[in-house]
Amino acid sequence: MEVDQESLHASKAEATQVETDLSDETQDFRLLERLSLLTDTSSSSLPKRGEKDFEPNPTVYQADILAASRQAMHNALSHPRMHPPKTHALGFYAPDGPKPPPGVELDHRGHGVSSNCCVCVPNPKGVVFKTIGQGDRWNRIWLLPEEALYLLERGSLDIRWPSSADEHVAGGSDLESDLSIPMSLQAAYACFLGQSGLTLERYSVYSSLRRLGYAVVRASGWDDSPAARAPDRRVDGYTQPQLRGAGLAGMFSMLFNWMHDPKSTASTAAGPLVGTGIHRNYAHIYQKLAIIPWYDPTTVPDRDPLDTDAPFRVVFHIYKPSTAIKKSALPPPDYRIAVVNTREQTTLPTLSQLGALLESTPLDPPKGEKMDRILSLRLRQGYRNVILAVVDQGVASYLRISDVAFGKEKIYQNKGPPSGSKNQKNFKSKKR
Amino acid sequence: MDNPTLPIPISHISGRYLLFSIEAVTYLRREHNICGVLTGTLPQASQQNVFLGLPLQLMPEEARVLVDKGIACIIDEAKAQTSMISLMEEDRRRYKRELEAQGHHVTRLLADRKNKRKEEALKKIAENKAKKSAKADAESEAAASSAIPAEEESAIVDVFADDSASRSSTPTSAPQEILGVTPPTSYPPLPNPTTSSDLVLSKPEVPLSYPLFAHLHSRGYFLSPGLRFGCQYVAYPGDPLRFHSHFLVVSAEYDQQIDLMDIVNGGRLGTGVKKGFLLGGPQKSREEAEIERTESVVTYSIEWAGM
Repeated sequence: MEVDQESLHASKAEATQVETDLSDETQDFRLLERLSLLTDTSSSSLPKRGEKDFEPNPTVYQADILAASRQAMHNALSHPRMHPPKTHALGFYAPDGPKPPPGVELDHRGHGVSSNCCVCVPNPKGVVFKTIGQGDRWNRIWLLPEEALYLLERGSLDIRWPSSADEHVAGGSDLESDLSIPMSLQAAYACFLGQSGLTLERYSVYSSLRRLGYAVVRASGWDDSPAARAPDRRVDGYTQPQLRGAGLAGMFSMLFNWMHDPKSTASTAAGPLVGTGIHRNYAHIYQKLAIIPWYDPTTVPDRDPLDTDAPFRVVFHIYKPSTAIKKSALPPPDYRIAVVNTREQTTLPTLSQLGALLESTPLDPPKGEKMDRILSLRLRQGYRNVILAVVDQGVASYLRISDVAFGKEKIYQNKGPPSGSKNQKNFKSKKR
Repeated sequence: MDNPTLPIPISHISGRYLLFSIEAVTYLRREHNICGVLTGTLPQASQQNVFLGLPLQLMPEEARVLVDKGIACIIDEAKAQTSMISLMEEDRRRYKRELEAQGHHVTRLLADRKNKRKEEALKKIAENKAKKSAKADAESEAAASSAIPAEEESAIVDVFADDSASRSSTPTSAPQEILGVTPPTSYPPLPNPTTSSDLVLSKPEVPLSYPLFAHLHSRGYFLSPGLRFGCQYVAYPGDPLRFHSHFLVVSAEYDQQIDLMDIVNGGRLGTGVKKGFLLGGPQKSREEAEIERTESVVTYSIEWAGM
């Protein structure tokens, strides 16, 4: 921690925000007070972390600072969720799922929204609905449990319940005679958590990414009941196509290589590894030395996202704030994320679990000029990648896991423009 | 600050322990060294992850300590909320009127403050004009926009913090523009759930590390989940708001074989972040009662000697 703090003092505020993850520490809420809260909703930069003491001592001074910190925290946490009339978005809780408006019979076309939706917003207002919710055929927006909970929690939605009759869902009903009352935050948690597979861990990940500005939508692996799993086709990518180009294509390429390699000298078990022929260049020798089989991620067939072991399956698709999203036709996601609860899953995933998870994501090979040039970037990018969100009692860590193909990087073939000893040096440093 | 009525109801929602009442959160932090983890979005600063708000998530260990001490009890929240349907029409109307009154109050406070700020800004501008300095002018505008009197802040907040006060206030005639308010908890309008026996659940299930947790907690340590440092708990000597943590805590059974490498890892990591690596556990076996196990806890602190 001391090291952390030194670096914080040493460098500028902008730099430290990158270096130290402020959310990793218990924050001094007095800093939040300094942000002009109630009125100023424009982007205000985050405050710097406050000083901490090593241990408690009996001084009044210390007690006063602590009391002030606690008071600030108390004030910040008791800030009300208010809905000014101009931006007031009303939602209605429909515990039994989407329903057509009253007086309309549901025909064969259905209502056009997921059956997991449980909150109806008849008159959606505001930018939040650009990436949240699904519109039905009657221009109402339906929200999934996590979406409704998030909007209520951030003070953007006023959900009314209990609505015994359907007329509330219709919206625009007379609020004076309406007996439904505003749903409290507590009631919202009680109602929405546990619905259609929403755990607190998944919700924590959802809301923390939303708070950062990402758009988050459910992926096909959301439902982790065993029935949702595809029963067969359990091909283990780590036992079958290990050798590069195994199978028919591989046979052809071997044959091809053999015919086009006049200096080929099949190495025998007794003879030297590189064979007894004449070698005119190093590449050939290295090729001969490459006897350890390696795994090529590009040759592994894609796997059904449901053919993975929960919790190691993709539950959310994440879109960067810069990605333009159309709710009706979602583009391929920028990131895929699996959520793991440390209290239920105490061990690392096994290789086959992790392999299955990676295979369920599409091939995302390194591309671009920079990647082509720099080996380490290529290795870091990998060929498939997924993000694991590990949640321990409300504390989340995000790990990016990628499938790296070291075997595809033929170091000995690298003949960069500058030759000679300098190039040799580059080789070494890159390899490490 | 007044204390909430005991026992404090801890909401048990889909297997997790949550607190929604700000009084309970500050009280447990102040009097019982229970911090939990804030997981909710703050409505006033909703696009960041540095400061988070209610609800507060408690570890099962924290909930268990509180239940064992008789300070709190576990409430089946989903079940408790279903009684909202059977709420009497009269109660609902009254509750809605109360919320309206709250909204009205906030509207008035906000308007007052806006006027006050406007006046202040105008005054400053006038002052600066007298000085006839363009530079000073710009500064004052910046200052005026950021300055919020602290008293006002707490005044607004207190309306909501203190339920009883706002409840007793008579509802005023509905103004034209009412702020809608989303209340943090459902009590009121629901009655206190700790009094109805069919809502109270049994003690939380806790992991094998519970005796060590209870032992350290009884010694005045504040404990938080250990994921950030790759351990089970992080132990703070005082409120984490003000103090750095001292120990990375890992629990083990007394007869358990511990991989030497784990100790090396823990010791190295702990020393690297200027904390001690604390290894501990109960001497009594896992068949014994929790309370006896807690009393038999032994702890060891491991540090890198750096010879």
